Amino acid sequence: MKYMMLIYRNEQDLDALTPEQKQRTVGATWAVIDEAKRRGVLVGVSPLERISAATTIRHDGDKVLVSDGPFAETKEQLAGYYILACQDLDEAIAWASKIPICGGGRGCIEIRPLRELPARESLFERQDAAVNA
Amino acid sequence: MQFLLLIYDKEQRWSQGYDPKEMAEYGQFGNQFAGAIKGGNALQPTGTAKTVRVRGGKQLTTDGPFAETKEQLGGFYLIDVKNIEEAVAIAASIPAARYGSVEVRPILVFAKSETSAAD
Repeated sequence: MKYMMLIYRNEQDLDALTPEQKQRTVGATWAVIDEAKRRGVLVGVSPLERISAATTIRHDGDKVLVSDGPFAETKEQLAGYYILACQDLDEAIAWASKIPICGGGRGCIEIRPLRELPARESLFERQDAAVNA
Repeated sequence: MQFLLLIYDKEQRWSQGYDPKEMAEYGQFGNQFAGAIKGGNALQPTGTAKTVRVRGGKQLTTDGPFAETKEQLGGFYLIDVKNIEEAVAIAASIPAARYGSVEVRPILVFAKSETSAAD
């Protein structure tokens, strides 16, 4: 089963990090990514730019409404994601607890299982392959 | 430039399974933008979510998503396009944009010194 790990942390905490703390967080992040790769569970991973760079799109009838900012204002902000292929939720939780957030600061990781789609939607298989590449 | 398109929609809308007509639209969408789409997945409903925090070395796990919202994260696309205008145009073409909303977030590119462990 594949799981998406959504990483939420306070963006302002990042600004407060010392260069040493930042380096330690980056190092710990790569340690998790390397281990996940080595054990064949890494499907995809990426950090995101801050929410000030976000744009949200809605339709109102035929009209497209474009607004600045993220979908929802939250105390902690979506900062990035992992997609990991795990045996079960317990393994996913174990991986999630290894992912450093802001050098142990505030933050959390939401784990969501990916949804299996009907086989006729070969498009999604192709996308999966792209993420794997 | 890569963007993550986060699809927020009322998950009750497809609690009985996806509408085949809408799935066909997703198929068309996927074909139309095949050159830009690098990845994507649908997610299971938020009822299956767990949220993990580690505080003082202790792991705290709770049921449910990070935040309760009127619309729920139901899936995503990862796209590679020239600029945000192109990303917004693709986001507006996702069928769910007619019902919910699509958040467009640029992917953060680390400085080279920070990515020595990358591919």
